[in-house]
Amino acid sequence: MKMSLLYIILLIIATSACDTVSQLFLKNSINSLSFNINGIRKLLGFLLRLALVPRVWFALSFSTLSLFIWLFVLSKADLNLAFSLDSMHYIFIAFGSHVILKEKVGLKRWGGTLLIVIGIVLVSFTGRA
Amino acid sequence: MFKNRLTLKILSFLVFSDILETFTHFCFKKSALPESGLNITSLHEAAVFIQAILSSGFLWIGLVSVLATFIIWSAVLSKIDLSIAVPIASFSYILVPFVSIILLGERITFLRWVGIFFILAGVIMVSLTGEDTKAAAR
Repeated sequence: MKMSLLYIILLIIATSACDTVSQLFLKNSINSLSFNINGIRKLLGFLLRLALVPRVWFALSFSTLSLFIWLFVLSKADLNLAFSLDSMHYIFIAFGSHVILKEKVGLKRWGGTLLIVIGIVLVSFTGRA
Repeated sequence: MFKNRLTLKILSFLVFSDILETFTHFCFKKSALPESGLNITSLHEAAVFIQAILSSGFLWIGLVSVLATFIIWSAVLSKIDLSIAVPIASFSYILVPFVSIILLGERITFLRWVGIFFILAGVIMVSLTGEDTKAAAR
């Protein structure tokens, strides 16, 4: 039996949104540490410090949630559709980075991001005959 | 403002984390594939689905790969903007078709080449904005 298309689209929006929230929390936590990693010892220290930031655990929870929704979508939806719709998370990320993380997303970066989205949609729909 | 610099080293870490992520997706798809006949409409059936994928070896290999990806990804994010790192990670959409050509002998349609070209152009464009911030910092 096929699930309704709207249901699948909503699930893909949900998984993209959860992933974006997770990335924003993660990047925000990393920014708060301002750590310069140069070598494996520093990396371990960095990971330890990172694990102590409470927001990181929000990031991981959202990431897990996103993963479970995505796994479910993969078992149901047409892959071409799933991957092309999932590409909207590049737009969410650019938007979130600009608004929440105050990154300077200029015209060029937006342009590049949109090209990637168009490309992913094309690749997703031309995969198989 | 060295934080925004996109160096070749960071780029290669990004591509590596991307390859790992592609591998993760492959493992997860493999773990969910046998359950595609399942029609999940109730909480009970959702529990059955979760139980089924938890018993798949592919899921656990995938989870280890997620952990490794997370560590590399965090290290990369400590160096560059999120709005640069995420678009560049879309590289797997180029990688997978190329692996399919070389290892699986698949044929790529013209429209797909156009799509690959768009992604590549987008990735290069976003990467160049990383260079911009570097130049501005000097």
